[in-house]
Amino acid sequence: MLQVIFFNVTNGLIIGAFYVLLALGLALILNLSNVINFAHGNFLALGGYFAFAITPVLGYWGALIVAPLLTAALGFVVERLLISRVYSRDPVYSLLLTFGLAFVIQDVCRYTWGPNGLPLGIPDALSQPLSPELFFITWYRIFMVAIVIVAVAGLFLFLRYSRVGVRIRAGTLDLDTVSVLGVNVRLLRTFNFSIGCLMAGLAGVLAAGQIGLNPNMGDDLLMPSFIAIIVGGVGSLTGTLFGGLLIGLAGAITTVFYPSASEAVIYIIMAVVLLLRPRGLMGEEGMLT
Amino acid sequence: MSGSAMLEVRDLSKHFGNLRAVQGVSMTVAHGELRAIIGPNGAGKTTFFNMISGFFPPTQGEILLDGQAITRASVTERVGMGMARTFQITEIFPELSVRENLRIAVEAQAGMMRRFWASRSEAAAVAAETDRLLAQTGLTPSADRLVGELSHGDQRAAEIAMALALKPRLLLLDEPTAGMGEHETYQVASLIRRLHKQSNYTIVLIEHDMRVVFNLADRITVLEQGAMLADGTPGEIAANPAVQAAYLGSAE
Amino acid sequence: MSGHATEAPPVAAAAAGGLPRRLAGLAVLWLVLATAPLWMPLIGGYDALATRVLVLGLVAMSFNIVLGFTGQMSFGHAAYFGLGAYGAGLTLKFIAASTPLALLFGTLLGGVLGTLFGLLIVRRRGVYFAMVTIAFGQVCFYVAYKWNDLTGGYDGLRGFQRAPLHLGLATIDIAASSRVFYYFVLVIFALAVGAMALVLRSPFGRTLLAIRENERRARFLGIPVERHIWLAFSVSCFFAALAGSLYALLNNFADPLALHYTLSGEIVIMTVMGGMRAFWGPLLGAAVFVVLQDYVSSMTENWMSIIGIIFMLVVLFFPRGLLGFMQRRDAR
Repeated sequence: MLQVIFFNVTNGLIIGAFYVLLALGLALILNLSNVINFAHGNFLALGGYFAFAITPVLGYWGALIVAPLLTAALGFVVERLLISRVYSRDPVYSLLLTFGLAFVIQDVCRYTWGPNGLPLGIPDALSQPLSPELFFITWYRIFMVAIVIVAVAGLFLFLRYSRVGVRIRAGTLDLDTVSVLGVNVRLLRTFNFSIGCLMAGLAGVLAAGQIGLNPNMGDDLLMPSFIAIIVGGVGSLTGTLFGGLLIGLAGAITTVFYPSASEAVIYIIMAVVLLLRPRGLMGEEGMLT
Repeated sequence: MSGSAMLEVRDLSKHFGNLRAVQGVSMTVAHGELRAIIGPNGAGKTTFFNMISGFFPPTQGEILLDGQAITRASVTERVGMGMARTFQITEIFPELSVRENLRIAVEAQAGMMRRFWASRSEAAAVAAETDRLLAQTGLTPSADRLVGELSHGDQRAAEIAMALALKPRLLLLDEPTAGMGEHETYQVASLIRRLHKQSNYTIVLIEHDMRVVFNLADRITVLEQGAMLADGTPGEIAANPAVQAAYLGSAE
Repeated sequence: MSGHATEAPPVAAAAAGGLPRRLAGLAVLWLVLATAPLWMPLIGGYDALATRVLVLGLVAMSFNIVLGFTGQMSFGHAAYFGLGAYGAGLTLKFIAASTPLALLFGTLLGGVLGTLFGLLIVRRRGVYFAMVTIAFGQVCFYVAYKWNDLTGGYDGLRGFQRAPLHLGLATIDIAASSRVFYYFVLVIFALAVGAMALVLRSPFGRTLLAIRENERRARFLGIPVERHIWLAFSVSCFFAALAGSLYALLNNFADPLALHYTLSGEIVIMTVMGGMRAFWGPLLGAAVFVVLQDYVSSMTENWMSIIGIIFMLVVLFFPRGLLGFMQRRDAR
């Protein structure tokens, strides 16, 4: 029993780590540009497929670095060509735009790589179990968690100390003032969007090594990522981080005791949070009007 | 005049963290008075106004409307008790016609806002009141235009008309001539004068344009750095050396 | 929050058309709808497709109470539509073979749950409103998907049939004839749309416009903004659930995809495509979308790309929608 719980807690942490990667990217874009990126799960899938295409050339390690960068580059282009055109409009338009984009990317993936699952090979060393006693945990799982921790820490350090990061945070609070101060807001948003895509692409490469590739692999992760943001509190990246871990763990622990409710618990957490703390666990305080 | 003042503010303060935006301001506005609040930028005028109109609660102090405490009342409650306000940046329904703008306000005042139908006589009463407000504010000629397409001055007049639709006992105007040209400033100032002299509204306004202030106001309250610097008739204020030093001298 | 109006068209043109023109327009509209089974085959349609247009038109028009008239961006209306469908299907399957009862219970199920969810949603604005409505929509999808015993899970709810209508002496057999069923749906549609028009043109309806146009001004007119958004959301959910009930009767089937956010997105695009500032816009959008989808999905396997591209083209080049576009031209 203890082993089962241990297994599920590690599992929950890993799932939570994916939620965190995806949700942080979503939240970055949401906070700065007021856009819900419905295609975020599809950028995740693209990251995985890019890795699949690159691995034969550059090997796994090369793909791990290049595939997320490619995803980010694509995000840069997509933001420039499409999404930046609708910032000045009612947010319903950016929502519909990314929604349509999600359809297109998913269909392109299906058309290019086929509707069925594909495996992404990982180095042999990583596919070994930790030890005979801990046979249910492979090194790959540890590796994934380590990479996610590095990526998240990197993101937070970037936002805290780099010039661009500071501007992104300032823009989140008050975009008008930032633009008056002479910051190129247009470029800032494009860059921010592509950072979000970078995180999604990285999550895609990691996920592909664990569960394989298929055109709608991001869909199952997208909704929990929304909920991670709602639970953590809109506007707070730290909140999103804890929100993602919380629902990942809650889902996994529920699996031990009542498997069929493992997904329901995510929604229950959301409802409870909205009921007791409408702004989310770490959400900003708002004005009366 | 009745015994209590129309508006009484006692020792009102608002702190945002370490910032003391308003510090211990008191003010008494009599029935039928037109009071102007002036002060340099950052003096706390708008914060003071926002507390009176219920945007946010004060850190400390009391607000009484015609003798009744309203310090912690919600915006909706204050409107119900007879308070109406306009904003520095005109707040109207831009994509509706002037008439529709006023009609919504009239219906809200008549308590019809949760009704799914209106009888013929009710609709006629609303229409008549709407027409009266249009005439009162000089907007009859542009009644069926979208209010967002009107000139700045007419938009302001429409906003004031919406406030009047609420049959307010106290009218709060936040910089009614802000950003307006010569002609529009004159137009809005005359409207306010008419409302004050002919219709006898009690009005409190924030204003930057000193000609408007000294022409219209019965009394003037001067704020500086969140505190009250002076309070008196236009003559007294003009002669007050502290005000001259702190405000008039540097501003003009 | 008054910065949302940048792209929206002035709507005075709608009124500028004058009463006679409006009446003429309405007469044409109802004539077209009443004769749809006759001309649908000419454009490759059929009775059930015409019914689909009405049903999705009704849900899009319901949705537009929230989006176009109250200015709040719900992105989970498929949930209340789908709940209506399941409510109707379950009634027919387990309670009684009565079409009116199915419509009643379906509408109640979606409407009441929507009203309850609305309580948790109304304090949110803008994209956050959208996000929470999506999440609640997915709760419904998830329940229908997982509760196999009751809902049939992934395969959907089967094993029910719409029942003939018994009106005292006469019996109308809406079960056997898809054409008779079309006219049955048309009657319900007309009643629902009439009720919607009454609500939107009432003093209450005007407070919704006020909230859409300028929430702060609405609040300073004494309008309790949150409560009115909630009421609008609730009314909208009841109508959406009615449409969903009709959908179950149309297909004799209710599946979890009727609750999925993909359908929510399609409802939004229908509304925007037709023109969200026009009362009839969503119906027009639904007609175009449903016919197009039917056509495209029979033509190519890559219909998702086509639909996705339509989404993007509408957003980038046609944001006012068909009716908004025409009104704009009229105004010149």
